[in-house]
Amino acid sequence: MSVSGIPAPSIIGQRIPRVEDSRLLRGLGCYVDDVPEPPGTLHLAFVLSPHAHARIMRVGRDAARRMPGVVDVLAGADFLHVKPQQADLPQRGYQVVPRPVMAIDRVRFVGELVAVVIAEDRYRAEDAAEQVEIEYEPLAAVVEAETACAPGAPTIHEGTRDNVIFQASFKSEGFDAAFDGAGLVVQDRFDSARLAIVSIEPRGCLAIHDPGRDGLTFYTGTQIPHIVRSSLAELLDWDERSIRVIAPDVGGGFGMKAYLYPEEVITAAIARRLQCAVKWICDRREDLMTSNHSRDYRFDVALAFDRDGTLRAVKADILCNIGAYPLSPFGSSVEAGGAALYLPGPYRLKHYAFTTRAVATHTCPTGVYRGVAAPVAFFATEGLMDRAARILGVDPVEIRRRNILQPSEFPYVNVLGIRYNNGSYAGCLERALQAIGYAEFRREQPPGRLVDGRYRGIGVASIVEHTGQGASRYRDRGLLRIPGYDSALVKLEPNGKAVAWVSQATQGQGHLTVFAQLVADVLGVAVGDVTIVEGDTAQGPYGTGTFASRGAVTGSGAVLRASAQVAEKIRRIAAHMLEASPGDIELIDGRARVKGVPRMGIAIREIAAIAYSVHSRALPPDTDFGLEATNYYDPPVAAITNATHAAQVSIDAVTGLITVERYVVAHDCGRVINPLIVEGQIHGAVVQGRGSVLSEAIRFDSDGQLMTANLLDYRLPTIADVPDIEVLHEETWSADTEGGFKGVGEGGVIGALPAIANAVADALLPFQARIRRLPLTPERVSELMTTPP
Amino acid sequence: MGDVLTDAAERRTVRIEVNGRSCARAVEPRLLLVDFLRHDLRLTGTHVGCAHGVCGACTVLIDGQPARSCLAFAIQMDGACIRTVESLASGGALHPVQQAFHEQHGLQCGYCTPGFLIATVALLERNPQPDDAQIRAALAGQLCRCTGYVNIVKAVKSAAQKVAAERIAAEKVATEKIATEKIAAEKPAKTPAPEPLRGG
Amino acid sequence: MKPAPFSYVAPASLQQAAAILAAHAGEARVLAGGQSLIPLMNLRVAAPRLLIDLGRCAELSYIRRDGEALALGAMVRQAEAEHSPLVKELCPLLAATLPYVGHPVIRSRGTVCGSLAHADRVAELPGVAVALGAELVAEGPAGRRIIAADDFFVADLTTALRPDEILREVRFPIAPAHTRSGFLKSGVRHHDLALVGIAAEVTLEGGRIARARLAAVGVGPRPVRLREAEARLTGAAASPHGIAERCSVSGLETGDDAYASARYRMRLTQGLLARVLRSLLADG
Repeated sequence: MSVSGIPAPSIIGQRIPRVEDSRLLRGLGCYVDDVPEPPGTLHLAFVLSPHAHARIMRVGRDAARRMPGVVDVLAGADFLHVKPQQADLPQRGYQVVPRPVMAIDRVRFVGELVAVVIAEDRYRAEDAAEQVEIEYEPLAAVVEAETACAPGAPTIHEGTRDNVIFQASFKSEGFDAAFDGAGLVVQDRFDSARLAIVSIEPRGCLAIHDPGRDGLTFYTGTQIPHIVRSSLAELLDWDERSIRVIAPDVGGGFGMKAYLYPEEVITAAIARRLQCAVKWICDRREDLMTSNHSRDYRFDVALAFDRDGTLRAVKADILCNIGAYPLSPFGSSVEAGGAALYLPGPYRLKHYAFTTRAVATHTCPTGVYRGVAAPVAFFATEGLMDRAARILGVDPVEIRRRNILQPSEFPYVNVLGIRYNNGSYAGCLERALQAIGYAEFRREQPPGRLVDGRYRGIGVASIVEHTGQGASRYRDRGLLRIPGYDSALVKLEPNGKAVAWVSQATQGQGHLTVFAQLVADVLGVAVGDVTIVEGDTAQGPYGTGTFASRGAVTGSGAVLRASAQVAEKIRRIAAHMLEASPGDIELIDGRARVKGVPRMGIAIREIAAIAYSVHSRALPPDTDFGLEATNYYDPPVAAITNATHAAQVSIDAVTGLITVERYVVAHDCGRVINPLIVEGQIHGAVVQGRGSVLSEAIRFDSDGQLMTANLLDYRLPTIADVPDIEVLHEETWSADTEGGFKGVGEGGVIGALPAIANAVADALLPFQARIRRLPLTPERVSELMTTPP
Repeated sequence: MGDVLTDAAERRTVRIEVNGRSCARAVEPRLLLVDFLRHDLRLTGTHVGCAHGVCGACTVLIDGQPARSCLAFAIQMDGACIRTVESLASGGALHPVQQAFHEQHGLQCGYCTPGFLIATVALLERNPQPDDAQIRAALAGQLCRCTGYVNIVKAVKSAAQKVAAERIAAEKVATEKIATEKIAAEKPAKTPAPEPLRGG
Repeated sequence: MKPAPFSYVAPASLQQAAAILAAHAGEARVLAGGQSLIPLMNLRVAAPRLLIDLGRCAELSYIRRDGEALALGAMVRQAEAEHSPLVKELCPLLAATLPYVGHPVIRSRGTVCGSLAHADRVAELPGVAVALGAELVAEGPAGRRIIAADDFFVADLTTALRPDEILREVRFPIAPAHTRSGFLKSGVRHHDLALVGIAAEVTLEGGRIARARLAAVGVGPRPVRLREAEARLTGAAASPHGIAERCSVSGLETGDDAYASARYRMRLTQGLLARVLRSLLADG
């Protein structure tokens, strides 16, 4: 453990079981569908387009309107007063494409909203939805990215030059010479199948209108309550102060709930129009059809090496199929741009060139999903590292040792100008290898790989994760709708207990425990005496929300700084009472006491009483009443987390089914607040990664019909599919971010794709199998085992 | 009663015992059991994740057996005995299975958790000491997207131990109670039994 | 995903159920366990106007020996059959296959006959029925009709039951002495829906295979009896060695579909068949 000279405080770093748990375990959680419905709440059912591309000739609503329990049926023309969403702002490289909340004269993907039924309950709403008669003129659909960017391809959107909604390119100085002069180039085309995100709780919202104030209380399962509030205000031309967005308990987000969806806007609009409460809950079929997809990629990647295995240059052509519309707030470049950011990886690299394109097609819009493009970027680069090693006759680990950044090289400014702060890249590599018994496995591994009817292999992947990105990062990336900072209001109540309102939102990451640990540590109170409140825009200051592994950095930073200000005031009051200097006061175990003289102290509860004048003693001079502070924290740079993942797999020689036998993660997310929660995040992320490597794939037919519209066809990993996952913590405290923390939520996915894929490639070495297409279904593996190379 | 046809637009009164309480409600035939529990009875601990029986978030006990409440209609449940996640904790204390999930960090967002808890209770009823393979086979029908299942396996193993310990402790108490009663019955009475109170 | 409206009746006897079905044939569906039908209704793929629930027909919950057959009534839950000592004794192939059907929570409510009547092309129990030559007993207005398993399964989700008939019972031949049974399937994940499943039973006599019963699901629109392989195995030594050569399935025809290619299905069929037979014959 490498700690930069600060003695470890007691609460930070502890494996405290979560304060969230009790009510969730009892079934007393309150998710959107559980929020008590005001009397007279109306329910929505949407009519979705059955065509990937068509003109809407007529929407016949009369039959549906006559159905029992139906209040009204609305179509696109009824929402002209709602501004179209515009995810991208005009900038170089972007073609701005608006998205009306409901299709008006044209549909562009199967599942696009065409009409909405408003009824007394969801059952009757669905009955009526079936009776809406829509006349379509089907048009040719473009489903594949390659087709969409072929010259002369029909445009998905009028007014665009072509379907390349976003593009960018970069070439480092001297790249061509470096690449052309390389002793070895390994390259391939990597295809990853599109994914659905499938949080177990689908999307949903409840809009409660207050007619007297023209106010809206909007419950929604979202990761971005403040952004939703501002966006609703903008799109509905509504005073932002009249809108309150509340993210109640949210059943998983993973990026999918970090968007503002048309259904949310429509629900709010209808509530205002009808001046009542309106509710919409997405069902699973709708979810697979309309919640954002992700990772529909084709990456052409080449790695150029010297003959001694030194990495010289990386070249990439990135193609992302982003579906029919860019989504708000991340826009069209988040996947295509993000992929480009990740390809340099954890290695010493001077030369890099990329072109990247986000292409529109007649499919469901895509967006962020845990890890975004990084998992596939590393699938490509880490796979090529292994191939290069084999050509050069060295073990895949050796080529990594040769190129991985060493401690002495930090801070390292990479070829894109991104600053890698201190990390333990080489250290995690060695630790993971040791924990999985890499050397021993290699020693015992037969060249033919076959043991007891199973092909066995081991794979390693070293990755980086860009966490806690702040305002400057998002501006640089052109993602102008993301504030980038987060904030906290920390308050000590008159009874000496603390409340902290944080601008983030939680979907299971344990914020209520982790942030409480920070406040407790700084204020010297018990964790149980700290309450964290998140997700409600009417409570607490403005901020960004929770995604892209930012919680531990931006949320923690704001919490720490605000707590420090409150602590400073506690110490000042205590110092005045104890006739000491504030610098000599420490806050421990609920008391403010003089360092070295523990019995000289005052209960923090008493100090709170003084600060609120519930007590007879006076405040120190020049001190206001109250005990609270607000802080906005914008991390100066992204915190780069590193990890090495190692996987052992065995493959059934008959069926091709892959079993992950062992899995080890050695990771470094800086200072760890709660190892129990960090491990849980890594476990969950690794298994999501396993899903995308081995079994998950969204499939369309050539007409753009979704073939995987239920959970039998879209195959998530189950408890029978995963091994125990061993997590080893390295803690290189970040020198750049408040508290020394880095984020950790996505690294598990980023490492799982390359680690498992590399293990499979190793197991199938006798077949010289090129692992370049995901998912590695049993059939695909079976083909690799039987087709000559 | 059985051969009375309930028309689609009608409601039929069903009497169901839910978490030990008897309730009677008029339901239309197509009302899913999960919706009845959640909206009619306001027992929102049971969740809807897919409505086609795959994710398991809706799992409850019907007459002691684990079952998908999204794949049953309330109207079928006349006379049935249903238990949901809300019945597990008693008073202020968590059920040993709940306690195990808490200690092992076997939940994150909590949405799939009620289904896992019920399925685990049912598993341990049938197989008090399941091994790793048996746990995975029994719970492969419950989907989780947050935890990666690693800590859920640990939680179930821990729960098995807690449930077994509780059973042993309960048996011990019961045995001691029988022994104490036996001793009391054999002791000669020292004082006459008090006179029964008379009214008036 | 709420079901469309339907009328509901839960008659107390099969006779009543059959009469109601006859009166509403074409518009009514029979509900047993609901684990196959209700998902379709929630997805609005199926929208019967009337649901006839067999759940109150106490007479349909029997598992009993009936002559040379093991008879299961229409309301026998998969879990009941799975844990029934009688099933294990008289029809070991059924007992061996049930743990592969769905998941324990599904098996609590799903019924053996319901799975057979639903006839999903990759369902496991139809494979058992075809392997053993089970008899399916239908009840209709004209009375009772016995349908051989080979005739019962017509295509994916299609059986020989007429719209006015209810599957009231399935009869499995009682396994002879010295019989070993096993089931294997392979999907995309562990514990998954089958792409291909093999139901296998061998009866041994004097160190040789006296009788083999083999069926595959997933290699066509309905379960397929692997007669070619059965013939090649009959009389062979009861040893796992050399079994693979006898597992010829070249006569099978199947096509590519959204889930798997024909080539992969054939490879699975061959491989799983050899595997299950090797394990059945492992101890000689």
